[in-house]
Amino acid sequence: MQQNIYCSCSRCPFGALVCAVWVGMVCLVFCSRLSGMKAASICGNAQAECHFLSLANLFDRVIQHSARMHGISNDLHSEFELYFLPSKNQVSRVGRNCHTSNILTPNGKENRFPVTDPELTEVIMKLLAAWRDPLWHFHQSVARNHRFNGYGSNKSLEMSDMAHELRKGVQKVVEKMQTLGVISNSVGGLASPEALLAADGSGWRFMKDSDLLYCFRRDSNKIQNYLKILKCRIVPEHGC
Amino acid sequence: MLRARMRRRLGLAVLLMLSAALRCRSASPPGKPVLIGCRSPEKETFTCWWEPGFNGGLPTRHRLFYEKEGSEEVHECPDYWSAGKNSCFFGKEQTSIWVEYSLTVVAFNALGNTSSDLFKIDDVMKIVKPYTPENVTVLVNDTANTPYLCVSWNHPPKVDTKSGWTTIKYELRVQKEDNKPEIFHPNKKNSFKVYNVDPGATYTVDMRCQLDQSSWSEWSTASVVKIPNYFQNEKPFWILVSIFSVIPLLATICIVVLKRKFVKQWLLPPVPGPKIRGVDVQLLKSGRAEDVINALIGNQNFPPAAAWMDQTEEYLLVSDSNDWLLTDPYISQKKKSLVIPAGVQLEIQCRTSAPAQSDCENAEVGKDGKVEPDHLAQTKESVLNVAAPSVSSGSKEAASGNAAGPTGYVDIQQHKGTQGAGPNAAQWDYSWVKEVNGETIFILKNEDAAAGLDVPGWEENTAADYSRVKEVNGDDVVLLQKHDSADSSCKKKEDRSAEWTNQKAKSRHGSDCGKGACLQIAGNGYVDSVPRFYVE
Repeated sequence: MQQNIYCSCSRCPFGALVCAVWVGMVCLVFCSRLSGMKAASICGNAQAECHFLSLANLFDRVIQHSARMHGISNDLHSEFELYFLPSKNQVSRVGRNCHTSNILTPNGKENRFPVTDPELTEVIMKLLAAWRDPLWHFHQSVARNHRFNGYGSNKSLEMSDMAHELRKGVQKVVEKMQTLGVISNSVGGLASPEALLAADGSGWRFMKDSDLLYCFRRDSNKIQNYLKILKCRIVPEHGC
Repeated sequence: MLRARMRRRLGLAVLLMLSAALRCRSASPPGKPVLIGCRSPEKETFTCWWEPGFNGGLPTRHRLFYEKEGSEEVHECPDYWSAGKNSCFFGKEQTSIWVEYSLTVVAFNALGNTSSDLFKIDDVMKIVKPYTPENVTVLVNDTANTPYLCVSWNHPPKVDTKSGWTTIKYELRVQKEDNKPEIFHPNKKNSFKVYNVDPGATYTVDMRCQLDQSSWSEWSTASVVKIPNYFQNEKPFWILVSIFSVIPLLATICIVVLKRKFVKQWLLPPVPGPKIRGVDVQLLKSGRAEDVINALIGNQNFPPAAAWMDQTEEYLLVSDSNDWLLTDPYISQKKKSLVIPAGVQLEIQCRTSAPAQSDCENAEVGKDGKVEPDHLAQTKESVLNVAAPSVSSGSKEAASGNAAGPTGYVDIQQHKGTQGAGPNAAQWDYSWVKEVNGETIFILKNEDAAAGLDVPGWEENTAADYSRVKEVNGDDVVLLQKHDSADSSCKKKEDRSAEWTNQKAKSRHGSDCGKGACLQIAGNGYVDSVPRFYVE
């Protein structure tokens, strides 16, 4: 094959021109691919060099992501209640016990809420970390037992993925804040909060699906709200 | 006396007991109160209302107890009065978002208490319903040519939008008169512009808002505005414009109407029909066939060719005898062509009087002995066929047509007619052709011939036969003279040639070609026997 190309190149100048153009195009394609990969590698390894987005922009993205996640969890919960809990106003004295109840979260505007930024960030990270495994197992059980229809199964997977993505996004925001000096570097130690949850790590396994959805719906709303508060505290000039 | 008092006391006691009994039957423990609902207007506080039941005839008191999620402690409503009667207001300290509340209202009266059903609030977020936006004002902005509505408002009272605790979203509704209302979602906090408004229309504008995907608030009080009709302001302008545009239009129409013929001619010029010069179309349409033919070909003066052919065929053979039938087909053809049909005179210009005629050398063949001027054209045409050197068989008594000679002189002699087919047969003289050799014709000497022609002499002089030119008329016409005698003619040949040349020079431009035969004059003065007769 190559010999043919060489032969044609040597025979006439037009053939040589075609060869040159072809080689140039191949080089262009490869170079563009290389440059693309290069861009990805920069962001993946050394986060400090990722100055492409501003903090406000990062916050906006993360908040949008959390809003979407909350929307999905809301849909799933209402669908679950519709199909599996037909009797409304089910009276049960035994309140739902979410496995994240032990995480102290600010619940009111003013009471227990003069929470500092680092504390708030910590709470967010804890919540996101606590929900990674339960969501994944929920999706597995739904897919295995075919309890939901196809819509529900897709949604559960999407929910699990979004929670995972959101966690990574918030990590990025935290790192950005740390580079900017907004918060101290002690918060970064929460990159692996599995150690904190080791004590009650398996409490969620005994939760009912309805309780799990209920709890996650609430927690996703909390995460969204906390992120908004953080944004308005740290970068208030961008639409609060 | 004692008995009377005791009876009275007993009566009173009975009365009292009866009254007490009566009262006891109307009074009862209070009826069951019902919790209607709760609402949080700004996500920081909330209020719950209940409906009391039958009070049982006794003053009853209602108390609200609640439990929060995660603790068994029972709390009582902190504020029964701020929100009105039969309500409980939860302040900021008592309000916890994302926490489940269980509420109960208990009615107390002297006879007992009754508690309502448990009312659960899953999440305070679910009972959030903000107030309507405040100060919704609509202004019509009519600068430039496109009017628009400028709507401005404020956030509902007590809502905190700055700390990020709540995200408020507004919805604007614009309804044009009785059409379907249009919904807008402004991005800005305080103002919005509505552009697609029509002048002269009435619009109703109102707003509502939402906190964090909660329930929508009530619609605000509607503002009604009317867009001024701008066309009225500009009416005089448009009137002027229409007037100024109508006048030229009318003028154009008038011109077109008055000069319609001219316009029609200019737009659609008439296409000329086909015409033949000299032919009348009407004649063609209505005329007879003869008229048509005459009209079409009347100008051409064509001789009737059919007559020629007939005459040619008729007189194909000059002689009756078959001896003179030529074997050579070519010569016979030539002979044909040389045969001059009846009524033809080689001499074509013999128009004048008889004496001249006698001078003319005629070679008439055919029936008609007379040469009429009318047939001159015909004769001319027929003699055109005489292309070859002269072989005038039978036309002369001693004609020895020099067929071979290129000059081709024509022998024209007058003979006394021996065989006359017509009335003037006496004028016709014939010679017997003895033999035709090639292009030479040997003619028998005719004893009866009284012409006194010297045939042998003629025969000898086959190479050079001349006709005396009497007169030359113009370029093309030569008048030949009749020969008196062969000798004289022979002798006077040179003289004549001189004469001829003289004649030729003299009368080159003459046009009188009335006598004798007219033959074309060759360059050297000799007469070319290839006659070219022209139609006059």
